[in-house]
Amino acid sequence: MTAPHQYRLESVRKEFGRQQVALEGFDLTVAQGERVALIGPSGAGKTTLFRMLNCTIRPTSGRLRIDGEEVRELYGRRLREMRRRIGTIYQQHNLVPRLRVVHNVLSGRLGRWSLLGSLASLVRPSHLEAVHQALADVGIAEKLFSRTDELSGGQQQRVAIARVLMQDPEVILADEPVSSVDPSLAESIIRLLITISDQTRKTLMVNLHSTDLALSYFSRVVGMKQGVKLFDTAAAQVTPELLRELYSGHVPVNGAAGRVREAEQEVGEPAHWGAA
Amino acid sequence: MSLTPRLPGSRSIFPYVFGGLFLIVLADSWRRAEVNPGIFFEPEGREHLWRFVTGMYPPELSWEFLELMVRPTIETIQISVMGTLIAVVIGFPLGLLATSTFSFQGILHETEFRNAGLRHGLKVCLYGLARALLSLFRCIPEFVWAFMFVRAVGLGPFPGVLAIGVAYGGMLGKVYSEIFESVNERPLEAIQSTGAGRLQIFFYGWFPQVLPNITSYTLYRWECAVRTSAILGLVGAGGIGQQIQISIRMFNFHEVTTLLLILFALVAGADYVSAKVRSLL
Repeated sequence: MTAPHQYRLESVRKEFGRQQVALEGFDLTVAQGERVALIGPSGAGKTTLFRMLNCTIRPTSGRLRIDGEEVRELYGRRLREMRRRIGTIYQQHNLVPRLRVVHNVLSGRLGRWSLLGSLASLVRPSHLEAVHQALADVGIAEKLFSRTDELSGGQQQRVAIARVLMQDPEVILADEPVSSVDPSLAESIIRLLITISDQTRKTLMVNLHSTDLALSYFSRVVGMKQGVKLFDTAAAQVTPELLRELYSGHVPVNGAAGRVREAEQEVGEPAHWGAA
Repeated sequence: MSLTPRLPGSRSIFPYVFGGLFLIVLADSWRRAEVNPGIFFEPEGREHLWRFVTGMYPPELSWEFLELMVRPTIETIQISVMGTLIAVVIGFPLGLLATSTFSFQGILHETEFRNAGLRHGLKVCLYGLARALLSLFRCIPEFVWAFMFVRAVGLGPFPGVLAIGVAYGGMLGKVYSEIFESVNERPLEAIQSTGAGRLQIFFYGWFPQVLPNITSYTLYRWECAVRTSAILGLVGAGGIGQQIQISIRMFNFHEVTTLLLILFALVAGADYVSAKVRSLL
């Protein structure tokens, strides 16, 4: 492979304060255009991992390279430029409730706009065509000028996806994108994300609570538990035993579980690590 | 000398101690503040009260007097509006600096490593300074400010404007900073992750969140400023208050009644306007 990997993590560790270790010895390599699902119990460090992958927080130690660039060395304009290339869909949508939908969608563009341009757009929204198209893609074109807090949870999630469409990043990170919507909608949102990544060759990484969705829509599945990677394998290779271990894990049956036990001792208390 | 002996395993006796202290304070205050409702029932007291009330009635409604009061009434409104404006100009930036999540903590400062120590120290100092200034501004009562400004810039509405501006600036800044602290950081994180700069995050994620609250609190303060500007008139800072003082000095309580009615109308009007604006938010 000549092209640099989208993501390359080497023994990444993240602590919050002294006691809380959210990630430990984490290695991960993701190729450009690849689609990966992350599964694991809550508190496994999935959200922390994503916040590192989108350059919101930095690793405490270890190396994190995105597209060949060491994130540790990015500051100011170059850091913002890197963030612009990574779009994130959050579990709680993270929209500004009092803004109209159009402005929330347009905020995906901020990385490309001048300050004056973005202020002018707050008064008189620009790029209405593109916003309309993005909202049409997620199926809520008629909500263009609605106030965001008047929308249902599922509709807000769609606005958040439209914001990422507007951002047009190289990578899409979706952190539990379907935890607040009903199952049928969940499936359609996952399909939508896969279609988007397919059409525009974007790397797609999704945190999922539902192992069913992960196994049926993603070819590569990473299992995380208590801040360490438990497995990283093809979906076909994920056995019920592996899943049982991932979600209860009290009975070590093989080598992988041994690693968990080791990690537990190293990490100390299996607390509610900053994943919330 | 402890008033609260600690019994191991017993429930806290603090509520009883504080309850007792409260009763003592209450009883002592009643005595020392010379509270005596009986005075209203003694024949002499009743007579005084009656004279006072009937002396104020009817309000002075002659055309000349009302015409004379138009200017002070408008002046009162102008004092309150300008005073509140200055208060916002003082309170907003100080309130920002006095907000820890804005100046040095939280998600917007997560990835700042370069020169972090020095910058962080500077920001914490600014934060403390802003808090101290805000406390100073609001712990000195408006009329004391007015008194000082009358000395400094002479009689008239301007010292009233300055007094309201400074004292209310302190109050606004304090409440603003509390509103600012309660901003939800999740949307800010999301906007930051699109590659937006600081000011863009400020205008797209932060400002829309605080705008309704600070507007409604500022309007409430404006309503108070209408009333306060009347009090400030008593120390010579113009407006209706100055007229009230003049009428009281001349024992013309009919005029006082009229002026109080005007003041009532002004405050009610301010209340109406701010309710209207709030309903639009």
